[in-house]
Formats: sequence, C-alpha cells, structure tokens
Amino acid sequence: MPEAALELRGLTKHFGASVTVGPIDLIVRQGEFVTLLGPSGCGKTTTLNMIGGFVTPDAGGIHLAGSPVETLPPWRRDLGIVFQDYALFPHRTVAENIGFGLRMRRVGRAEIARRVYEAMQLVRLDGLGDRRPGQLSGGQRQRVALARALVIRPSLLLLDEPLSNLDLKLREEMRIEISTLQRRLGIAALFVTHDQEEALTMSDRIAVMRGGRIEQLGSAREIYEAPASAFVAGFIGSTNLIRGSVIAPRQPGGTVRVDTGAGPAMIPIVGDLPDGGAVLLMIRPERLKLASPGAAPEGTNAWSAQVVRTIYLGGRMEVRLRLRDGGTAIAYAVNEGETDWDEGEMVDAWFRPRDAWVIPGPAEDSDAQATNCLR
Amino acid sequence: MSRKILWSVVALIYAFMLAPILITAAVSFNAVERSYFPPRGFSLHWWSMAMTPQWTGPFLFSLKLAALSAVATAVLGLPLALALRWPSFRGRGTLQALTLGPLVLPSLVTGIALLQFLTLAGVGNWIGLPALVIGHVVICLPFMVRTLSISLDSIPINAEIAAASLGASRLRVLIEVTLPLARSGGGAGMIFAFISSFDDVNLALFVARPGQTPLTVQIMQFLEYGFSPTLAALSIISLLVPLALVALFGRLVGIGNFIYQDHGHA
Ligand SMILES: Nc1ncnc2c1ncn2[C@@H]1O[C@H](COP(=O)(O)OP(=O)(O)OP(=O)(O)O)[C@@H](O)[C@H]1O
Ligand SMILES: [Mg+2]
Repeated sequence: MPEAALELRGLTKHFGASVTVGPIDLIVRQGEFVTLLGPSGCGKTTTLNMIGGFVTPDAGGIHLAGSPVETLPPWRRDLGIVFQDYALFPHRTVAENIGFGLRMRRVGRAEIARRVYEAMQLVRLDGLGDRRPGQLSGGQRQRVALARALVIRPSLLLLDEPLSNLDLKLREEMRIEISTLQRRLGIAALFVTHDQEEALTMSDRIAVMRGGRIEQLGSAREIYEAPASAFVAGFIGSTNLIRGSVIAPRQPGGTVRVDTGAGPAMIPIVGDLPDGGAVLLMIRPERLKLASPGAAPEGTNAWSAQVVRTIYLGGRMEVRLRLRDGGTAIAYAVNEGETDWDEGEMVDAWFRPRDAWVIPGPAEDSDAQATNCLR
Repeated sequence: MSRKILWSVVALIYAFMLAPILITAAVSFNAVERSYFPPRGFSLHWWSMAMTPQWTGPFLFSLKLAALSAVATAVLGLPLALALRWPSFRGRGTLQALTLGPLVLPSLVTGIALLQFLTLAGVGNWIGLPALVIGHVVICLPFMVRTLSISLDSIPINAEIAAASLGASRLRVLIEVTLPLARSGGGAGMIFAFISSFDDVNLALFVARPGQTPLTVQIMQFLEYGFSPTLAALSIISLLVPLALVALFGRLVGIGNFIYQDHGHA
C-alpha cells in the first residue's frame, strides 16, 4: 500500500492560554480530496499553515508522502498552495507567475516554457501568458494561482478558501473545474472552506472542525446522514433535532424506542445506547413527510402536528410545523402540484425508522446556536 | 460651467507657481548688470558667467552630494523598513520613533548638532562631503522609511508566503518578490532625498568646507556682495538639471504610479 500523501499526528498549536488548535489527527490518501470544514476561527488556516511550514506547531508530527517534514522550512516541503487572495506576484506576467516554482527548482528554460504552456492549457488560460495579474478577472486570477501550484507537481495541494472571493456563478464553475483537475492529475488535496455546499460537492471525505479539533471525519454522505454530534448535524444542511430519551434499547427486530415530547419513535439500533439515556433525534426536513391525519403509511413513525406556515420555494415547499409539545419542525415537501397544506391544518408528520438518526447525549447550549431547529 | 471654474482655479494656481520662475528666467537675459524686469536688452553674458568654474564646481558637487545622499538613504532605509514590518520585532516602537523623529527637527538644529558631534568625536576632518551626506541621510531617512513602508504594505499578504511555498528561500523571496515590489517606494524616497539634499542650505551652512561647498551655500556667500543676473541664470540651471535627472530616474524606476499603483488585488 502506498504511503499516505499527508499524515497528521496530534498536531497542536497554542495561541496564548485560551486558544488551542488541535490535537489534530488526519490522513489524506494518495489522490484523495479532503476538506476541512468549519466555522470561522475553528483553526482551518492554522492547520494549513502548520502543514505549509508557516506556523510552527507546539506538538505533533506531519508526514508528507511518508517522510517527516516538521523540521523542513516551507521552501523544501514541495507543496502547492492556493490562497483566498490568489497571492499572485503583481509585478510578473501570468507566465512568469506560473513558472516561478519551476525557476526556483532550476528547471531549464525550454522545459519551463513547455510546462507553463501545458499548465495554462490545463486551466484554460491560453493566450493570457503576457498579461499581468492586475489585468485579469477574479476567476482568471484564481486559475493562474491554481496553475502555479499545480505546475510544480506537488505531493499535496493545499487550498485555503480559494473560491470565497468569487461570485456565486463563478464559484460553482470553479468548484467543478478544481475537482475535475485534481482527479485527472491524481494529486492529493486538502481543501479549506466554511461553505458546506463546496465541501459536499467536492470532497472524497470531509473533516468537520470545531474549536480547533476535528469533530467528525467521513464521506459527505456519512457527515450528512450520520452526524456524530448536534454541531455537525446543524453545520451541514438544515435539520430537525428533537430531544428524547431511549426507552427500550433492545426491541425485537433490531430497533430501539426513543420517546420525545412530540411522540415516540422506533429507529434502528446504532451503537450502544444506554437505557433511559438522553439523546437527540435527527430528522432531515426532506425525510419528514406529511400526510392527512391517520393516513401515514404502515410501519412508519407518525406524529400529529399542525401546519404553522408554508413557504413556496419553487421546486419544493418548506412547511413549518408545530409539534404536540409546542416545539417546531421543518418539512420539505416536493412540489408535485398536488397537495397543498393549509396553514392551521392538522397533519401527520411521518418518517421511516431508517430516516431518523440518533445522536447520543443531551444538547449543549453551544450546539443550540449551530442548529437550525432545535427544541 | 463648474468645469470652467475648476480650470480657471487650476490655471491661477499654476500661474502663481510659475510666474516667479519665468520672471527669474527673463531676468537672466538682461544686457545690463542689474536685475531688471522686464529685461533690458538681450545677452547671454550672465549665462556664460554661470558656467565658470566658480559655479560649475559647487554645482557638480551638489549633484554628487545629492546622488550619494539618495543612495545612502535607500541603503539604510531598506533594512529599517523591512525590520519595522516584522510583526514580532520587539524594538519596533522605539525604532519607529527614532527613524521618524528627525522629521520634526529643524535641519538647522541637526546641522549644529552634527558639527558639534563631529568635532567632539574627533573626526572634524569629516566636515565636508562625509558630514554633508550623513546630515542629509538623517534628514531624509524618515521619508524614505515611510515611502518604503507604504510600498511594502501594498504587497499582497500571501505573495511572499506563496513564493516560499513554491521553493524560494528567504533570500530568494526578498530578491524575487519583496524588493521588486518595494521599488516604487524606494524610488520615491530617493527622489525626495536627492531633491532635499540638493536644495538644503540650513544644514550645509554648518558642515561645508572650502572646496566641498554645495551650490546653495556658494550662492548664500555670493549674496553678501549683492544680487546679480548670474544668480538668476544659476537658479534656472539648478532648477532644470535636477528636474531632468529626477524625471529620467522616475521613468527608470517606475515612480509615476507610486501613489496609484494597483498591485493586482481583487
Ligand atoms: N497569530 C495568531 N495569534 C493569535 N491567535 C491566532 C493567530 N492565528 C490564529 N489565531 C487564532 O486561532 C484560531 C484559529 O484561527 P484560524 O485562522 O486558523 O481560523 P480559520 O478556521 O481559518 O477561520 P476563518 O474561517 O475565519 O479563516 C482563532 O481563534 C484565531 O483567533
Ligand atoms: Mg482561515
């Protein structure tokens, strides 16, 4: 098995007495696209800077392609870095910018010219080689930055919010472009963002960070459908989190029963749940369905609820519900042009057992802010 | 309408600034030994007087002094500006105060202090060119540090980090990224140093010596015997020659966009 492109072991940095980033353990495999996702100030840039050699860690190890690099200066780490502000050299042409890393590596002139040309084709900048960065659009600048990082064929590509200075349309375009390119070249990448959609669409795996640590590491699907904490559940997508307690941990058929203020729910067993333990029941709004009272399908969990508001969103309706105990929940109903839920109407809100997810432990106060709909 | 007013105001200001110069230029062509305006007759006599060694010596000396001062100011100002930029640099406040301090000191005071210091330090023989250069560097350094700092501040935050990540050692980053981007600030500082050294009389009065006298001091001494159209001719020469040099230098360094420079930020 080949060495991991990047391995972080217990990487830690203290800023004063109160702020700590880490310890962080993370492996990026060869060719893999891993995203660090988290709110502002959670330590994403610091982590990247430690890998790049611009911040000295207080503890822990960094291995690039199997060899330790903690003691190497930045210019000997062989990384390609793309920055949020592009960080192009304003006094050099596009071609000179892209060729910079090769020139530092003492590559011959002809070879530089050839590889710069290739790189410019790769990022679709043909013909702009003689321009200066000041004469380029934001998207073009970001392409130059990308080409400049890729042309040295780094062992790892680090990207710190490279798309956040671009407008929405361009951002979506560049998202696809970057991940296509990364896949085609087979370069491992560590990508930083606080944009969940970026993380979901681009990554092989996502590391959700919070307060300087990785709270959960997994595929987009795992993070979205099986979040390890209320924070992760709330950070990605909208969600309903409902307080409950485990009543009967071992029901026949591999299910547990969770009682909530809105009603009981049967759900599949996940891990060890203590009898009577406080849990949060997570149901994504698109998995919460609505039916006329008593019309919920057999074998599903159905709670009686009142429609408070419906919001027309084009392809779907957002329906806000008041549950039995007065708490609120959100359901997305696909707009099929048939059912319309009137405000004030009583309905059954139902979900299949496997559409709910149990998060152990009661909600912390700080979680409450991160979640969209918590009761 | 408002455009017309604007242009009239601009024209007035320029007239106000240029009129004395034009009058001086006219006076230098007088045919008599008095400074009449409008000039009486036309002659190049005073211009040829201004070209004699009595004046060309100090004039060339002033140019040399100004050039040396400009270079020395840049050589000293660069490490200072770089040090001030280092975020974790401890003596930052002190250094800042020290370099910017002379800005508020009258150059007359600096001149006297320099004269006394050199005498007390037993290097009285530095009086002349070395002392003049030292004095002018002290006067111009604050400005140089400021213009350099402005240039350095406008470097994209991550450009130097990017260069390092692409394989450039600290020295290479300095040579490839930092210095080229500090060029316009350094150029502006050098032009300022050149001009203020060339124009200075307050400090030079104290630390010049015979044979090593700048033009300004020479003129001051000559004035004791009264004004002559020679001085008018000299004034025009000492206005145009440095101006031409500065313009040439500015073109070479790209000083023109010092203030408006777009460093390619988004
Ligand atoms: N040089 C520093 N000195 C002191 N504290 C710092 C320093 N750099 C970062 N921090 C602190 O470390 C924490 C993590 O910062 P970091 O820049 O890594 O966050 P981030 O996740 O990149 O945030 P953002 O999304 O806003 O870029 C923050 O609380 C920040 O204030
Ligand atoms: Mg950051």
